This record gives sequence, structure tokens and C-alpha cells, in this order.
Amino acid sequence: MTGPTLVVGELHDGALSDATKEAVSVAQSVSGKENVVGFLAGSSPRGPAAGFGRCGVARALVAEDPRLDGVAGAVVAHLVASAADSLGAELVLVGGSTFGRDLIARLGIRWNAAVATGVTSLTRTGASFEVRRPVFGGRATETRQLEGAHAAVALRPHASAAPPDSPGEVALTPVPLDGVPASFWAAKRLSVEVVSRGAGPSLTDASIIVSGGRGVRAAENFRLIDELAASLGGAVGASRAVTDAGWRPESYQVGQTGKQVSPQLYVAVGISGAVQHLMGMISSRVIVAINSDSTAPIFKVADYGIVGDLFQVVPALTQEVKRARGQ
Amino acid sequence: MEIVVCVKPVPDAETRLRTAADGSTLDIEAVKFVLTGYDESAVEQALLLKEANPGSKVHVVSAGPPPRTEEVLRASLALGCDLATWVEMPPGVAPDPVSAARALARAVAAVPHELVLCGKNAGDDEAGVVAGALAELLGVPDYSAVLDLRWDAAASRLRFQRSTEAGVEKWEAPLPCVVALQQAWNDPRTAKLPAILKSRRLPIAKVPPEAAIPATGTTRPTKFELPPPRTGAKLIEFKTPEEAAQKLVKVLKEDAKVFP
Repeated sequence: MTGPTLVVGELHDGALSDATKEAVSVAQSVSGKENVVGFLAGSSPRGPAAGFGRCGVARALVAEDPRLDGVAGAVVAHLVASAADSLGAELVLVGGSTFGRDLIARLGIRWNAAVATGVTSLTRTGASFEVRRPVFGGRATETRQLEGAHAAVALRPHASAAPPDSPGEVALTPVPLDGVPASFWAAKRLSVEVVSRGAGPSLTDASIIVSGGRGVRAAENFRLIDELAASLGGAVGASRAVTDAGWRPESYQVGQTGKQVSPQLYVAVGISGAVQHLMGMISSRVIVAINSDSTAPIFKVADYGIVGDLFQVVPALTQEVKRARGQ
Repeated sequence: MEIVVCVKPVPDAETRLRTAADGSTLDIEAVKFVLTGYDESAVEQALLLKEANPGSKVHVVSAGPPPRTEEVLRASLALGCDLATWVEMPPGVAPDPVSAARALARAVAAVPHELVLCGKNAGDDEAGVVAGALAELLGVPDYSAVLDLRWDAAASRLRFQRSTEAGVEKWEAPLPCVVALQQAWNDPRTAKLPAILKSRRLPIAKVPPEAAIPATGTTRPTKFELPPPRTGAKLIEFKTPEEAAQKLVKVLKEDAKVFP
């Protein structure tokens, strides 16, 4: 395989998402800085596409149309496949998000690519690429060889660090919007309700997560979890027992049927550690468990444990974290 | 509504994972394959939509080797699916997600399909690729991470929510399309014994896979690794909660190096 690598951008709060920057970083390391081209679609992509320049990307393609905000992923996939073809690209890379996964799936057919999602490491092996990705809820890791002339890869969040922000210009080239089937434009996103999560990062983006479980006992006690998460600058998660009881909305649920997360630090408070929950967080780098029951299965998978009453330990921990961080 | 639901046999969540002798895949000797996770929710949602929209039919489709593929199809019939199609692959074939989508697309294209439901991803490879690839092959749009999926017959539109990084999005879309389901309206039902017995005698249509699809697709597994067994938490000893907090912050800073 030869040819440039196309990194497809996604916006978060009007700027390139962290996941996109991580993808740029991986692209630069497998293809060389000069072989990376950005791509961004939206109603006004030119402003945020400048973010590619600050990541060291010199050239980007932009698809500009008011209809592109909140459009079905299929539309963007067709635009990306055409762009990848006209560039003669060998690899399309995208960050680890719902958008990224949907895009890669389509490229497997539309661009005849060997595809992989949830990838934590991408390396060049001879004429093709090799990926490593967690499977079975992080209980195992598989390595796959991507064969053929095209590869399309969605990374897992935090698979790589974003490149440092540096002054840099990116040359933007518009791409045409033709060739997308009319039916792909027919769906409408009516609204987006940003899930309230205070000031912290979102669950899937966060590098630190504090989750509460049944041991928290009542909705009003969940503020202990909120406060610890806030002191650490992390996001708040919950076990299924908590979302089933309605103490927190579904969007907080970490587990096999909720969000799958892999932060640097995961603090499980009052969570027993059912398989259902473990499958959502087992690939976290460091796991801390706080639970009064020393036989809880969570202590088998945790790196550090405190067997104690969370109602005493958590407030003390919040104070200590604040002190240590000079808050 | 003509509903097609695609399912995949996946090792039971309690399976003890082991690496196969060649080191490249999961050892499936003695592994129990089941209908699970998001696929179970997709079947549940298909049945709920059928019940809410009289005259609808649910056709379950799966692609894979015997006997596990037939087993999950029978399990789906026992839950209330009306028809089943099996894209029968030779024993030992483990298609990658794009190859699985190609196999499923042949079967789906051959039957009436207005709404094609898939689980968001399978619990084993967790690729989440089949729905999008299948939609591309069928030439229809797809919507992922869907919950609260409803059919508005008066407006002839699906109405649903999507749980994405942006938050909870509300959508409406016409048929036909593919939906990758995050969650059904309620927890999946369990089959009753008479239905299970009856499902053993129900017909399953068989479709041969396209000969051109390579055994593993265009991605070839080369290594399957298990993490070193976790030895259990290092417990922090303390007399007061304050001491516990100080010691934990210290190890997170100095040993684990994850303190912000």
C-alpha cells in the first residue's frame, strides 16, 4: 500500500474533537507527517478545520453544506469514500466515537477496505497494517492483519495522545457533494439534548471516572460521587443497579449494556463488580475499589482497594484530593 | 411492517476465555454459544414493534457455521420470530464483520425487508460494523446507538433516540433502513418451554454463502492474547478514613502515576 492517510474529523463543542486529534497523531506516526490529509464535513467546516493545521496537518478537504449538520452517517461515508479515491489514499483513520465506527463500517463496502474498530494500536507491517484491539469487554486482546489495498480504522478513545498544539496553517480544498443517494438525506435529527453532566468531561472522553453503585444506597447520596469526581476533574459513572433504580439516567451506566470505558483511572465506589459491569470498565489502566464488603468481586480486578464505609472514606478522599491538588 | 433482525452466536458471557493452539483465535472447544447482549435486545425490539403494529412479520437471519448458528436461530424462533434464514458457512469459518455483512446481505435482500434491526455490536469481537456495512450493501441509510424506537404509522416515519457522544439525539427517518440497537423498550423476554419445544420443529431456510468470500474476510486474526491474571487489589490498611485517603492519593501519585 502506498498513498496518503485521510483523517476524518469530528466536532465537539465547535472544535475538532480530542478523538480526531488522537487520530491525527496515529496517522502521522504510521504515514509520516507530510502524508496526512484532513477531512471535515459540516455547515461551516472551514473554521474548525483550521484545527488540523495546529496539529501539523498541512492539507484538508472540506465538505460544506448546511444540510450536513445532523445528517445520517451514510452521507459522510460516501463523501469520504470519494475523497479517499480521488486522493489515492491507502488508509482512512477516524477517532473512537459512534460517528467513527459508523463511518468505518460503510467504508468496508463502499471503499472496499479492510476495516477495524476500537483499535488501540496501529502499525505498518510490510505492505499492510496490523491492529491490536480489545475484545470480549477488554478480557482479551486480538491482533489482526488488514489485507488489501485499502484500510479503514476507527481508534479507541485515548489510544494515543493528541499532538501538541502548535502554530500551523492548513490549506483547505472543497469537495463536491454529488453522488450521495437521495434517500440518505431523508432522515432528520430533530434535536440534541446534551446530557447534563456538570462541568466535567463526558464519560467516554474522560481519563478519570468515578462510578457509584448500589452501595451508595440513595439518589441523594450520589453527590458524594459527584464531589469526588469533580475534585479529580473526572466524569461520573454508575452501575446498572443505580440506573435501574432511577438514581441516575441511563446515560451514566458503565457496563456491557451501557458505556464501555477505558480511562487511565477508574474508581468504583460501592460497586460489587458483577460481570455485566466489569465488561464495561475492565480495560481501564488503574482500577480503585472502595467497598465495605471485602469479598466483593470488584477487589479481584482492582489494582488498589479500600475495604471500608464509603460514607466515611469518600468524603475524606475528596478532601485529600482537593488538598493534594491545591484546590 | 416487514422486520428483519440479524443475530450472531456469541460465547456466553461466563465463558472462560482461552487461546486456541495456533495462538491466533479464541479456543472454542466446549464454549457455549448463545443469543446475547444487544442482539437479544434487537430481537426483543423487533417483537415489540410487531406486537404494536398488527400485520407485521419478524424474520430472523444469521450467518455462520453449524451448530451454533442454527441454535441462535431456534432460540429466536422460540422467542416469537416468525421466519428464519441461515446463511450456512462451513465449520471453522469465522467471517470478519464485513464478510458477515456480505453474507447477511444476500439473505436479507432476498426477503421483504422494510426495517432491518441489528444489535449495536456483538459481545465477542465488539466491532459494531455489520449494521453499517449491511446498510451500504442494501443501499439504505443506517442509524446506530438507537433507543426508544417507534413506528409512527400516520406519518410513515420511524421515531427514535440515539445515544451518542453529543448527548441524546432525537431522530425521525423513513423506511427502509437499518437500525443498530442500543436498547429495547424493556429487558429481553425469555422463551417459554412449549415455545422452545415447538421451535425445534420449525423450518429454517438455508442459503449458501457467496463462494468468493474468503474464510476470514480481509482481516486475518494473527494473535489472541489474555491479560496476565489480575492478582487482586492491593488493599490499603488504615485506622481512620483520613489515613486511607492519604495513602490512596500517595500510591496513585507515586506508584500508579495516574493522579491528575
